[in-house]
Amino acid sequence: MKTPSVSRGATLRAIVLKAALSAVAFAAIFLVLSCTPKKAGAAQRKLYIYNWTYYTPDSVIAKFEKEYGCKVVYDSFPSNEEMFAKLKAGGSDYDICFPSGDYVSIMVKEGMLAPIDRKAMKNFANVDPAVLARCDFDPGNAYSIPYYMGAAGVAVNKAKVGAFEKSWSIFGRKDLAGKMTMLDDMREVLGDALAYQGKSVNSASAVEIAAAAKLVNEVWKPNLLKFDAEAFAKGFAAGEFWVTQGYAEAIYLELDPARKPEVEFFIPKEGGPMYIDSMVVLKGSKNKDLAMSFIDFIHRPQIYAEFTDAFGFPATCNVPARALKKGPEWYKAVDLAPCELKKDVGEDLEKYNKAWQTIRFGG
Amino acid sequence: MKRNYGPLYAVPQSAWLLVFFAAPLVIIVGYSFLEKGLYGGVKPHLSLAAYRELANPALLGVAFRTLWVSVAATVVTLIVALPCGYSIARSHNQSLRLFLIIVPFWTNFLVRIYAWISILGNEGFLNDILRTLGVTSESVQFLYNQWAVILVLVYMYLPYAILPLFTSIDKFDFSLLEAARDLGASRFASYRLVLLPNIRSGIVTAVLFTFIPIFGAYAIPLLIGGKDSYMLGNLIADQVTKTRNWPLAASISMAVTLLSGLAAVVFLFRSRKGEAVAEVAESGMDSPGPVGRGGSASGTGGPAGATGATGLTLEVPA
Repeated sequence: MKTPSVSRGATLRAIVLKAALSAVAFAAIFLVLSCTPKKAGAAQRKLYIYNWTYYTPDSVIAKFEKEYGCKVVYDSFPSNEEMFAKLKAGGSDYDICFPSGDYVSIMVKEGMLAPIDRKAMKNFANVDPAVLARCDFDPGNAYSIPYYMGAAGVAVNKAKVGAFEKSWSIFGRKDLAGKMTMLDDMREVLGDALAYQGKSVNSASAVEIAAAAKLVNEVWKPNLLKFDAEAFAKGFAAGEFWVTQGYAEAIYLELDPARKPEVEFFIPKEGGPMYIDSMVVLKGSKNKDLAMSFIDFIHRPQIYAEFTDAFGFPATCNVPARALKKGPEWYKAVDLAPCELKKDVGEDLEKYNKAWQTIRFGG
Repeated sequence: MKRNYGPLYAVPQSAWLLVFFAAPLVIIVGYSFLEKGLYGGVKPHLSLAAYRELANPALLGVAFRTLWVSVAATVVTLIVALPCGYSIARSHNQSLRLFLIIVPFWTNFLVRIYAWISILGNEGFLNDILRTLGVTSESVQFLYNQWAVILVLVYMYLPYAILPLFTSIDKFDFSLLEAARDLGASRFASYRLVLLPNIRSGIVTAVLFTFIPIFGAYAIPLLIGGKDSYMLGNLIADQVTKTRNWPLAASISMAVTLLSGLAAVVFLFRSRKGEAVAEVAESGMDSPGPVGRGGSASGTGGPAGATGATGLTLEVPA
């Protein structure tokens, strides 16, 4: 799941870029129209992508545009909920979207997706069968192709913290009180506590969820400075927080590369909620073939390696890409082994909501 | 006879209010009476569930916290804004000073919040100074608590308080202060009994302009606050973006709108009444302006007070 914390800079960049691009586009259109008014029919195809804030590197998009002679329009969202609400409200004519697994199942149920022709995708064979086996939100991948599998983890400033155990129990350390943050996200934090207590991160048991909330309230929260899903990476990079739960790519983007050796990122040994962000084609897409080509393009080993290298990710979904990667990785694919895929809990969300209120509303 | 085009001029404003105020309000009212959809949105079934959920004591706790933070921030804002407004009104380069008050608006709201984070942070500007001066060796934790939230709220809404205060102080006839001093009032008494009642409308506007937006604050408690800085604005946003309970978001918004609307009306009405009293006092006594509340005469009476012929009550220095 991508995080909004990188969005500020990235969005600004995106806006400036968009402004510049549209200025260039307008100028180009103007030139074309004024010089050769009779050849205006040769319009360029456009692919509309609705994705997490900065989740596909610009270089990959540029390569696709060049090869397919099209223009890619990249719009971004900060959360599944917001993406879903916008598409439900009749959002614009997006072609491809990148929901997490739980939202893939919701969107299939609501009939918002177009089926995917896997036979036409020659790179589908590159997708890790172990990841496909976990896609029970869309059995047989009829509507979605995995884009990235990952999990939130914990970043530690080793220069300040010293020795530590790679466990969620780090948030119970009183000596780090006031220097630690967790995500402002109920499924994440309660999921971590559930995993720590040996329960499923998708538990539907009110008793288990209440016990998880008790652990957070009594053992973890007293040591936390805040719950932060917006600016945790900035705060961590600035040295405000020493131990921060968050997404590796956000921390990677904010952190001064020179300081990387003093930072360690780990996925706790007890596991926690994991996500598979998938590529889907929306039912209303007017460029379904181009959209399918884009999905196939992403799973070219060289392209997938380029994408994951840009964010310090392991190549979790694409097997041949692993041999082609050059960049460093914040965590290894094997670290995700104890994690559990976060699922849509439907009506049971209310139980999480009630438990989360005792954590967030409290005085 | 000339036709009266008056009503025609009101069309742009009415259209604006209709599209950007009345219509959204109607949507919010509507949503608050519907059943929530499992994945956000609403189902077309009438329901009072969202209003029943308002009785949740945890929710009232958040409302109470929001209230005290808003009151504290408003009071501090007013205390800072009064001398600012006064000094601008009295200065010879008003335009320049007003301009300086407006300048921060050129910078994006979020950027200014992040600027405060880099000022107050552990490795921030303020801690750097303190360490350089040798006041502290360890960083002081300024950020991520209620006080930091109040500080940034005050900073953010200060111009909204200064501008109306300046306007009313600028219109004030300063010779009244001299008169009060001539009649024996101390400097402080002349401000309290003559200036303040005369700039009441500016104070009322300043309070409304700061309290109401602060009561709905969202980004500042989110970014500057700590683990327990959750305010109503955050609560409403989370109902839409996280817990998929749009009707509850709508019913809380309704409650906030009604309560702050009611408070504003009561506040305005009470201050109008005060002005009315002052006007009565004025008309009865031929004084040059609404110089004081009629009722104050009794309050400061006694051996040290003297009630002058104009109805001004002044404390005579011993």
